[in-house]
Amino acid sequence: MSSASSLDAPPASGVANKLEVHDLEKHFGGVQVFRHVSFDVPAGTITALIGPNGAGKTTLINMACGVFHADGGTLTKDGRSLAAIKPAQALSYSLARTFQDVRVFPTMTVLENVMVAFPKQPGDRPWMLFGGSWRSVEEANRSAALDLLERLELADDADRRAEDIPFGSQKLLGLARATATGADTLLLDETTTGLAISRVPIVLAFLRGLKEAGRTILLIEHNMDVVTDVADQVVVLHGTVIASGTPAQVLHDPQVIHDYLGRIYDA
Amino acid sequence: MDYFYFIITVICIWVMMSLAANLVLGYSGQFTCGHVGYLAIGAYTTGILNIFTGMNFFLTLPLAVAITALTAFLTLIPLLRLGPLHFGIATLGLNVVIVDLIHNLAPRVQGAEGLFGLTMPAVMMSGPGRCAIVVVLTALCVWFSRILVSSPFGRTLRALRDRPEALVSLGKDVDYYRILVWTISGALAGLAGGLYTATLSYIDPTVFVVLFSFNLLVYIGVGGLASILGSVLGATLLIAFGEALRFGGLPSDISGPVQQALFGLLLVVIMMFRRQGLVGQYEFRE
Amino acid sequence: MALLQVLISGLSLSGYYAVLAIGFGMIFATLRIFHIAHAAVFGLAGYMFFLFHRMYQIDIWVSGALALVLAAVFGLLIDLGIYRPLLRRGGGTFSVFIASLGLTLVFESVALMLTKGTLSVARVGALAPVTIGPVSFRWFDVEVVVPVALLYAGLYIAVMRTRVGLEIRALADNAGLAGVVGINTDRTRTAIFLGASALAGLAGIFTAYDSGMVPTSGMDLLFITIVAVIFGGSRYLFMGALGGSIIMGLVTALAGFLFPQWVTIIVFSLLIVLLIVRPNGLFG
Repeated sequence: MSSASSLDAPPASGVANKLEVHDLEKHFGGVQVFRHVSFDVPAGTITALIGPNGAGKTTLINMACGVFHADGGTLTKDGRSLAAIKPAQALSYSLARTFQDVRVFPTMTVLENVMVAFPKQPGDRPWMLFGGSWRSVEEANRSAALDLLERLELADDADRRAEDIPFGSQKLLGLARATATGADTLLLDETTTGLAISRVPIVLAFLRGLKEAGRTILLIEHNMDVVTDVADQVVVLHGTVIASGTPAQVLHDPQVIHDYLGRIYDA
Repeated sequence: MDYFYFIITVICIWVMMSLAANLVLGYSGQFTCGHVGYLAIGAYTTGILNIFTGMNFFLTLPLAVAITALTAFLTLIPLLRLGPLHFGIATLGLNVVIVDLIHNLAPRVQGAEGLFGLTMPAVMMSGPGRCAIVVVLTALCVWFSRILVSSPFGRTLRALRDRPEALVSLGKDVDYYRILVWTISGALAGLAGGLYTATLSYIDPTVFVVLFSFNLLVYIGVGGLASILGSVLGATLLIAFGEALRFGGLPSDISGPVQQALFGLLLVVIMMFRRQGLVGQYEFRE
Repeated sequence: MALLQVLISGLSLSGYYAVLAIGFGMIFATLRIFHIAHAAVFGLAGYMFFLFHRMYQIDIWVSGALALVLAAVFGLLIDLGIYRPLLRRGGGTFSVFIASLGLTLVFESVALMLTKGTLSVARVGALAPVTIGPVSFRWFDVEVVVPVALLYAGLYIAVMRTRVGLEIRALADNAGLAGVVGINTDRTRTAIFLGASALAGLAGIFTAYDSGMVPTSGMDLLFITIVAVIFGGSRYLFMGALGGSIIMGLVTALAGFLFPQWVTIIVFSLLIVLLIVRPNGLFG
């Protein structure tokens, strides 16, 4: 592996917290999703966001990416407010995300799905196509894309249409795509849901690699093995933040057990 | 023999139009049902400039390209928010409006409904000469389109076609790409239009009615979406077929409607059974 | 004076649009099918009526009834033979639109082949004008407007008060849910197509009788009708279709009187503007 890895984050900005959520509130019409939600996601760490279905975890990611806007409270990235951003701007704030329902580009190959995500491709502009510089960037991106796919054990499927691979593989593809954007902070929505248990370690290794390369991760998860394995911090969302702390602390919290886990989690 | 050159020339024009339409429909998922409107703009630009200002034909071509590209750009902007069906109907309407506006407002040559009496450079006056020029230009358009679609830009277009909201999450401006490819498509149509005027040597609004946009859909539907080869194949096969019908012994007042009926039937059959056409890389999913 | 005359003919035109609009609008609102082939159903009825009454000299009421039945069946066959299989094979609203377009082209081409494009007028004599004060019209115009108005009222009652009507409204509201709660969507669909096609047939019969039929009559009329439907929106289908039809009747009559060269441009520009401006377009 070269020292410049496909996992690398952009240079650190010296900000302590990548994402800061303060007293956040959201409702849809008459339905209150959550209120008084506060937590921080420190740079270079992995935060797991857990909680029952409908608690608003995906909504929170949507809000960070400008799909929805807050009804109260603040949401900031590197100290800049995300209150009024539009979805197309999220990446310019160095935020990338995956989707719970994946949304790969179905008729494109697995490799193309990753390659379309790389930022600043000269070949993306028609007038640049008649010079030569875009080809070398394309080659470099291709290597980086294949490297990502290999880490996720998808390299064999590189030339298959994304719609033809199983759902679990599509989830991993979504993860590769988000990583390829080069954003320093990744918001991952249920990456292991629908993934065969035998493939979960691939994700764990990948996430650890991302963290080592300096990226920050907010992870929505239902799989507690994943949470205990990689998370530095766990935030439990159910109407509000009912608990937060290390995995060990949170998973023994009586309210969390009552509202969500159902039992004491023992690895 | 001259007729043979004429048919090849006409096929080439429609290959250019198929490339233009496939770029937006097959590669970026914009459901154009009125692309012949842009052909009309290019054709009339060349015709008007050449006949009424005496401009050299070859000089009119870049202007036809530019003006058609500009028209394409301006007419797309208000339609960007529309879903596939509404977009299709709106572009259909646009074709009708453009042709009727030309009918009402465009200058006419004395004593006729349309334009004729172009002054052509020598090479464009002969059947083989004109054919050669058009074939070369068409080949250039094919080459250009190939580069475009097999590039990262082409890849982004396909992503745009597949899942625009996912492309947005990758930080790419969906509207920017739509406008860009549509404008390029307009430029191609403008070139085709200018050459069409030279080929037909008489043009009037009836040459550009919306029916021909439907025929264009048949060409790329049969050839196949998102395929450069398909864009060439569809127009070639179907125009050749149309000509064969004409020589096949049908009375001349029947052969037109028969061809039209068969084209209509083809549309139904393609939609029902083979939405990717012959060699398409994509099928109508909407 | 002339303006009053224009208004009268506008109202008469509205009758045609209204009859087409309610059928087309209902099919779109409930099934999301952009049924361009409605023009072919219209055309078939008109030509059949011409054939029976003018060519075979069959009694006018019998001819009309036969043409209506043929129209209804033809419309249903289009759904059974093309739309339903297409949708089953994974086609979407645009594919259905294109298939519908193809079918209409086939119809127009065949009609062109058979009639050589001549105007087919079904009535035998001329329609005598009636003059009251400054306006003149024909009894025929009244004969169009009155049945259309009655038909509207009847349809409205049928949709609002009967079981089938309830199912139609459910389908328009939420097609997926309608199937889940046990509404036989196939049967409702059949009723919709039969009804709408009969209405289109009625418009075709009137047209063939009054001004005569050419292969493109259907499409020409249908596009104006589509603008009327969009004007009206799908929220209150009946009132909307009726209101939109009246507006378009007046607009086309006025435009036809003041600047006939611009009628098509006005209609289609209106179409484009409405599609842009109404955020839900036809989904109203």
